[in-house]
Amino acid sequence: MSNPIVSIQGLSYQYALTEVPALRDVSLDIAEGEYVAVMGPCGAGKTTLCLSLNGIVPHMMAGGVEGKVIIAGQDTAQTTVRELARTVGMVFDNPEFQLSQVTAREEIALGLENTGVPRDEMIRRIDEVLGLVGLRGFADRSPLAMSGGQQQRLAIAAALAMYPRVLVLDEPTSNLDPIGKEEVFSVCAQLNRERGMTIVIVEHEVEVMATYASRVVVLSEGRVALNGAPRDVLRQVQALEAVGARAPQVTELAYRLEQRGRPVAEYPVTLEQALAVFPAEGVR
Amino acid sequence: MAQHLPIPVVFVPRNSFFHRLHPVPKLIWAVGAIVMAFATRNPLVLLVLFVLGILFIAGAGVMRAYGRVMLVLFPISLSLIVFQALAPAFPQPWTPIAGFGPFTIYQEGIYSGLSLLLRTFAGSNFAVLLVLTTHPADLFTALQKFGVPHELNFMVSASLQLIPIVQREFQIVLSAQRSRGMRATGFGAAIPSMVPVFAGTIERVQQLAMSLESRAFGSKGAKTSLREVRASAKDVIFGLIGIVVTVAVTVLVLQYQAQLDWSKTPFMPDWVSVALVAVAALTFIAFTIALWWRASRE
Repeated sequence: MSNPIVSIQGLSYQYALTEVPALRDVSLDIAEGEYVAVMGPCGAGKTTLCLSLNGIVPHMMAGGVEGKVIIAGQDTAQTTVRELARTVGMVFDNPEFQLSQVTAREEIALGLENTGVPRDEMIRRIDEVLGLVGLRGFADRSPLAMSGGQQQRLAIAAALAMYPRVLVLDEPTSNLDPIGKEEVFSVCAQLNRERGMTIVIVEHEVEVMATYASRVVVLSEGRVALNGAPRDVLRQVQALEAVGARAPQVTELAYRLEQRGRPVAEYPVTLEQALAVFPAEGVR
Repeated sequence: MAQHLPIPVVFVPRNSFFHRLHPVPKLIWAVGAIVMAFATRNPLVLLVLFVLGILFIAGAGVMRAYGRVMLVLFPISLSLIVFQALAPAFPQPWTPIAGFGPFTIYQEGIYSGLSLLLRTFAGSNFAVLLVLTTHPADLFTALQKFGVPHELNFMVSASLQLIPIVQREFQIVLSAQRSRGMRATGFGAAIPSMVPVFAGTIERVQQLAMSLESRAFGSKGAKTSLREVRASAKDVIFGLIGIVVTVAVTVLVLQYQAQLDWSKTPFMPDWVSVALVAVAALTFIAFTIALWWRASRE
């Protein structure tokens, strides 16, 4: 990769007072404009990987670190989280825990005030990002009076307003209902498509990621187990099962059919691909 | 789960003169009132200050909210009257004016009770006015210009947000305890809920700290503010009046200290004093019984 925006080089990390490292010798390059889905079972190191992208690991966590993370040419070990915040936007799993202001408008303004964005520009950006995440008209609403999906979109808007080059989302939909999940996914897809924003998202909804992501990284026990295009990674049903992750249902169906002596020409990973493959095999 | 949580900002949005006023002149009046209230014990001076505060509050249209806030002080003020009348915070000898069996009411006690009471209200009226008519963020944005750190603004607004959240979490934990057959009323029930609620709050605050760092909170360099607080001529004038009044009243009151000391002057007829203490005592007893009755019914 010629000039990756995220370059993780042999990163190992162990939290203080734990027995096993959270990450072991992880190396990963991400080019600008990629949509990377990070998957893996609990304790695989997904959150630690996310937190290392804006320096929360190691700056705000106690633990031992080896290796390097370079974000847009800056070594995270040499840069503060506050500085990295201008390049990397971060969204966490619990939307309510991230919001602290009385209105949505002030919530979005917080990061802009901290980086000294002039007031006129601030007002323009608040309008813009509220429109982007579909919360126009909610500017004066209290974040506490919003649904989970709306709160998470507000958290995304607050990160977006700072115009980050990389948006990192750590299980942004784990506390949301199906409608809330879809809201978050479509905002991310739109940002990636229309603005070329680099997205790194930890997500368990493998069916959704098969459609949206341009790359899937599967972690297992702190190591990168699988890494590649969704089509290449998600069809490895056995390998995914071995590390405790799950293949899309259509892929698993193809795999089970093959095991019962009904081989499928090519494993589908999305519903569209399945619709093309299965009728040819006489499955209705 | 409730979607609309009450935000405990005592600020009452209105469009009065006091709401439009810059926070700093209001702060000057609030501090000035406290200085004046503590400069004298004379009930008449304190009464004038108190009435002025009430007029301002009525003018701002926040009388109802003021009443709610001050209700907290109600039982304390009743007990002040009663206990001061019976045992004045004054050097002996005391001048008795009436007696019921073992209890004697003293002139010094009436004086001391009334001035303590009026001092409390006269001093706090303007501070309450400031809080009721100023958005907290405006207050701190204004103070920022005087070198008060930006983080303080955040601390206030964030803790205001945290209160209803912790309240709700407390309710959730209590309901969970109740549904598992634990005692769920009274103070005893609250204790086993403390640990889960506070553990949850600590986790929440940790996560919030990460989220804030990720949005460049506390970064060096110039900061800007979404809120704009501009001072106009009327703000300056109102602030100056506050300073002049405070200085003038304080100087005068200290100069005529001897004449204004009414501790030995029977400034009210005896029967008024006796009636005042009796009404305060009866109301205080009724209030206590009502509280106790409500608590025992729960």
